[in-house]
Amino acid sequence: MTSEKKPALGRVMVIGGCGFLGHHVVRLVLRDYTTTSVSVIDLRCGNNRRPDSDGVRYHEADITDAARLDDIFAEERPDVIIHTASPAAQANDSVSHALFKKVNVDGTQAIIDAARKAGVKALVYTSSASVASDNKSDLINADERWPVIRGANQSEYYSETKAWAEELVLKANRAPEGPNLLTCAIRPSGIIGEGDRMAIYHMINIYRQGRTGVQVGNNDNLFDFTYVENVAHGHLLAAVALLATAKSSTVPLDTERVDGEAFFITNDSPVYFWDFTRAVWAAAGSPLGTDHVRKLPRSVGMVLGFLSEVFFGIIGKPPTFNRQRIVYSCMTRYYDITKAKKRLGYKPLVSLDEGVRRSVRWTLEQEEKAKAKGQ
Amino acid sequence: MGFASQAFYFLRHPNEFRDIIQWKVWHDPVHKRDPSKETPTEKSCFHYLNLTSRSFSSVIQELNPELLMPVCLFYLVLRGLDTIEDDMTLDLKLKEEHLRHFDEYMEQDGWTFDKNGPNEKDRELLVHFDDIIAELKKVKRPYYEIIKDITTKMGNGMADYAVNAEHNANGVDTIADYELYCHYVAGLVGEGLTRLFVESKLANPQLLVRMDLTESMGQFLQKTNIIRDVHEDFLDKRRFWPKEIWSKYVDEWDDMFKLENREKAMQCSSEMVLNALKHADECLFYMAGIRDQSVFNFVAIPQSMAIATLELVYRNPAIFDSHIKITKGDACRLMMESTQNLRTVCDVFRTYARRIHKKSDPRDPHFLAISAQCGKIEQFIETIFPTQDPKRIAEGLPAEGGITAIETFLLVSAALVTLFFIGGIMVGVAYLAGARFDKVIEDASGAISSIAGAVPTHGHEEL
Repeated sequence: MTSEKKPALGRVMVIGGCGFLGHHVVRLVLRDYTTTSVSVIDLRCGNNRRPDSDGVRYHEADITDAARLDDIFAEERPDVIIHTASPAAQANDSVSHALFKKVNVDGTQAIIDAARKAGVKALVYTSSASVASDNKSDLINADERWPVIRGANQSEYYSETKAWAEELVLKANRAPEGPNLLTCAIRPSGIIGEGDRMAIYHMINIYRQGRTGVQVGNNDNLFDFTYVENVAHGHLLAAVALLATAKSSTVPLDTERVDGEAFFITNDSPVYFWDFTRAVWAAAGSPLGTDHVRKLPRSVGMVLGFLSEVFFGIIGKPPTFNRQRIVYSCMTRYYDITKAKKRLGYKPLVSLDEGVRRSVRWTLEQEEKAKAKGQ
Repeated sequence: MGFASQAFYFLRHPNEFRDIIQWKVWHDPVHKRDPSKETPTEKSCFHYLNLTSRSFSSVIQELNPELLMPVCLFYLVLRGLDTIEDDMTLDLKLKEEHLRHFDEYMEQDGWTFDKNGPNEKDRELLVHFDDIIAELKKVKRPYYEIIKDITTKMGNGMADYAVNAEHNANGVDTIADYELYCHYVAGLVGEGLTRLFVESKLANPQLLVRMDLTESMGQFLQKTNIIRDVHEDFLDKRRFWPKEIWSKYVDEWDDMFKLENREKAMQCSSEMVLNALKHADECLFYMAGIRDQSVFNFVAIPQSMAIATLELVYRNPAIFDSHIKITKGDACRLMMESTQNLRTVCDVFRTYARRIHKKSDPRDPHFLAISAQCGKIEQFIETIFPTQDPKRIAEGLPAEGGITAIETFLLVSAALVTLFFIGGIMVGVAYLAGARFDKVIEDASGAISSIAGAVPTHGHEEL
């Protein structure tokens, strides 16, 4: 990247730029692109902030606050918006459902409205690869022709709201209400990396609790995990493509088009689910191989998951182990990202192997820091 | 293995025994050469083919008649070169001269070569090389040009290696050297074969545009052999594993074979396997371009053997103190599965990819990379033969292309209706033809009562 001429992005705004994915987008913008200005909107701008010398302007705002958005947009006049803001998908109760709807759907609509008013050229939205999953069936080498699972078939409300917002964003492309706004959606699968407090954290916890000795299913199920820098890279390639389209006087061919399109983004290297967890455990220092592992058939796992749900239901706590976990660990879910490779010129910058090492190292450092604070 | 020990082995492995029997009984070659119509020099060529090749002679002899002689002669010419290159008793100057000019000698009527040492196993081939030359003269011009071109390239490549003292003293250095070596000993052969296949219209001409696929075919086979033969080569004081790889694990090559370094050696072999596995998906891609069954069998058998061998050597400490091979039963099963179609070969690759990743040890530094490489093979197979159809999923039909409950119901109903319909017609026809159903029913009830232990009271009298 450094030896070539860096592509230009003009005035860039990253929404959710202090979050897990968002702050990596900001980092890559500064590293790999030339810009006129870089700004961030986030609910809180304390974490993951660039040093002042980088010149990033931070705005604290709730994205559902339309008036506040208009003010910031009027001040920043962005050419490109990368919209990564989304609440963590951990909980599944009515309070978090309301939050998913408010931030993902209402917030995204507010951003589209503000973008139209401010004459933004390109909007790249962070969707999720989970929009194509019904959370029980396999997805085998799925590409963008696979249907988005909505409504009654979509058991995860988080995914429902991501799909809903994706639909809003893609419909806003060249819409009569704002014909100059070009949009696209990026659907990353299983993001890991520095700043992630979910997937890798959870797996390292399992290792700390000494629970690496069980494997549910036969471990033939491939799964896509994606290192965060590659996801950020995919977003920025999309932004460059949208800006190029905006400059051109003709609408691109259907087979080349980026505006109005969704793209799966992965590390382009699906791995067997339990291999991934074992790679994380090994990177976290596990001295064990696979001799201690007992294989549990999926059906037995489902029964145990059900019993756990009943037990925790009786004592009135959320279960630490449930049937959905079993389903996920036995599910095949990987994607064909040919479309992103052809139309965006996407290729992962960091291998999965290296991504795992970096993510685990960061997580262990956080543990150390927390310990040091505790003492 | 003696007969008794072999019998005992198969008693414990009945599946392998079955595979061998099935291959011997059911394998039906697409083409068979007809020795009764062959000239004496043709016969002589096949004699030397059988003498010099264990693995290739039968698949070559089952090739499409159009390519039978060209490929057989191509093999023998390269084997001739090899016999000169291999012979350590030959004077280096003489060797280099003969390697570089072999392409000219093979055009001279009656040329033979008898300076090989008495122990050189294929020396007879060169002593009678005039027979091969006589047949080469009859080969169609385009095929001949391809054979000669590859002979020129390979002879010069071998000569370069022969005079390269550094290489001979220290073995292969970088990964690039390693792949160049594999190119000379296997990639070039592949190039010649692909050109023969396309020239004879038995393969997709696109293969000539994507020569990298051909290269992968050769690299995959050669690298697998080099990994498997590491101990044998060590005993022969030869080394083909590149220093760039093994120096990460041990300081001296000899240390690789010491018992105390076994885990380091295993990790090194994992890196070698990983390096070989990266060619697997392109090999499948190549095979998709073959249009003739006999040619498909010819290219697919060695590839299936190679992925099975990779699985065998992967994380197997035995490669460092013995010479291991896939079992005869496995070989027969693989030949059976490789002589059908691309899908069955893909199934072989997928099965072995899964077995490879399951042998992995998370403490191995290449653990996740191997998993990803196996995943890549599976993903590539999905692009040729997709399991899921997005249109069916969109319509709410089962993703796997399986049968729904309603479909099952309809199938069973259809079968039952057909059964009753045909049965009804048969009974009707029989009745019209004068069948006495009342008798049948009586008989049946008589039989039932006798089975039940009751004494028949009237049945026999009435008959």
